[in-house]
Amino acid sequence: MSDRPAGKDENIIVQLGTLPPSKYFLVHLAGIILMFIPLIYPMGLPVQTSQPVIDYVRTIQNLPEGSVVAVSFGASAALLDEQEAQFLATWKILFSNKLKVIFYSTTEDANIILERHLGTKVKPGDYGYSYGVDYVLLGYSPLGEAGQAAFVQNIRSLYPVDYHGTPLNNIPLMQDINDQSGVDLIIFEYTSCTDVEWVIRQWIVPFNKPALITTLGCCGPMAAPYYPSQIRGFLSGSGAGTEIEVVSGFPGPGAAMSDSKSLGILPWLVSMVFANLAWFMRRSK
Amino acid sequence: MADLLMGLLGTFFIVATLSVLWKDNIVFRFGQAAVMGAATAHYMIMSATSIQSMVLSQMQLLPILGLILGLLMYTRLFRNIAWVSKYPSSILVGVGIGVMLAGTIKGQILQQIGMTVGDIQTALFTTGDSVAILNSVIIFVGVVTSLVYFLFTVEHTGTVGLIAKVGRVFLMISLGANFAGELVWYQTQMIGRLMFIIQELLVPLGLV
Repeated sequence: MSDRPAGKDENIIVQLGTLPPSKYFLVHLAGIILMFIPLIYPMGLPVQTSQPVIDYVRTIQNLPEGSVVAVSFGASAALLDEQEAQFLATWKILFSNKLKVIFYSTTEDANIILERHLGTKVKPGDYGYSYGVDYVLLGYSPLGEAGQAAFVQNIRSLYPVDYHGTPLNNIPLMQDINDQSGVDLIIFEYTSCTDVEWVIRQWIVPFNKPALITTLGCCGPMAAPYYPSQIRGFLSGSGAGTEIEVVSGFPGPGAAMSDSKSLGILPWLVSMVFANLAWFMRRSK
Repeated sequence: MADLLMGLLGTFFIVATLSVLWKDNIVFRFGQAAVMGAATAHYMIMSATSIQSMVLSQMQLLPILGLILGLLMYTRLFRNIAWVSKYPSSILVGVGIGVMLAGTIKGQILQQIGMTVGDIQTALFTTGDSVAILNSVIIFVGVVTSLVYFLFTVEHTGTVGLIAKVGRVFLMISLGANFAGELVWYQTQMIGRLMFIIQELLVPLGLV
């Protein structure tokens, strides 16, 4: 959209491509309406799966039963809609493959999300899991990169007790685990794009630990250079959330979002096309 | 009934936040302040709980030292002793650089260079797949030309200027991909809120 509104003598393309800011809400309104309709009447538009998502699922599925997976969970409630489908499908894959899971939160609100997921949406008990034996919630610790470096060397230095206040030594799953050597796979969730470097520098380079990544759509391009040599697979954004549901066969919120996204993006795409056409038309005069 | 009230409350804050699309207004400002206030309170409680479980319940020397350094950060609030905060800041920067340095050189420079070249070798001599060859060549050209774009010791004219221009195209494509991700992210947030309104309000009220 141009700052200079179209004159009356300019054609319809320039008129549409140079909407004044006071009219922007019309584009947003059209987008909201187009997003809303498929949520009520699903259209079933096709979904293509990508190799990073397929590798993400296969890496988990190929782990032997009873392997230990650490989930560094840096999710944010404010960004949850973008990633919830990824998380729910991941928990289902982990639990259905009978893997031991250590959840640790690196953001203040990650535990709220985990509690809600494991309490109501993907109940570990439904998969025959027992708390402390098959999975554990270590709770929140303000881990930056230095915290990740400490975690791989001494888990108890950061989490002397679990989320419920039980000392780790009293938790069966944690009896023999106090550093990265007890972990077979790290799933690293983050929402700040450059944080991908933390898992590279603290888990992969020094220990060559198999790693998977889940992140926002906008962070995908920064994770991609590390795939497939350093990270085994990654999920970026809600699109990957839909894909992982398809690949794993566990339906969830991603399927419902897919149609809405495909249709709802149209007004903004059309706006961009018209704005560019208007710019070129004005320039050519 | 309680669920319906929560749905109503959630919907109110969604509509309040979205009302800024029309124009800045008192309902938006109220919603914004309420969400910020709740989030700040939550963060403060979580941080205090974390300090309690990691430091105060252990009473070991190193965590207490860390707590003292953290508290010294607050000396910035007092002009006459603000200089004290430079010590914890310096330690933080020093530890941060120390922790990241080794991994950066190997994982983000050496291994990345190795993969950029290795991909071409693998594609040419092992797989022989034409698409893989094309991909690896594009990545190689993208890496080299983008690096040249950030080479400021040589004037960007002639051949160097041409290479830098190609690098700029690759950078623009990369930034475009990032921005597209941002746009879809905002859209997904909107869809998530619409789903919330449908599931928590419209469905219980029997409107859909």
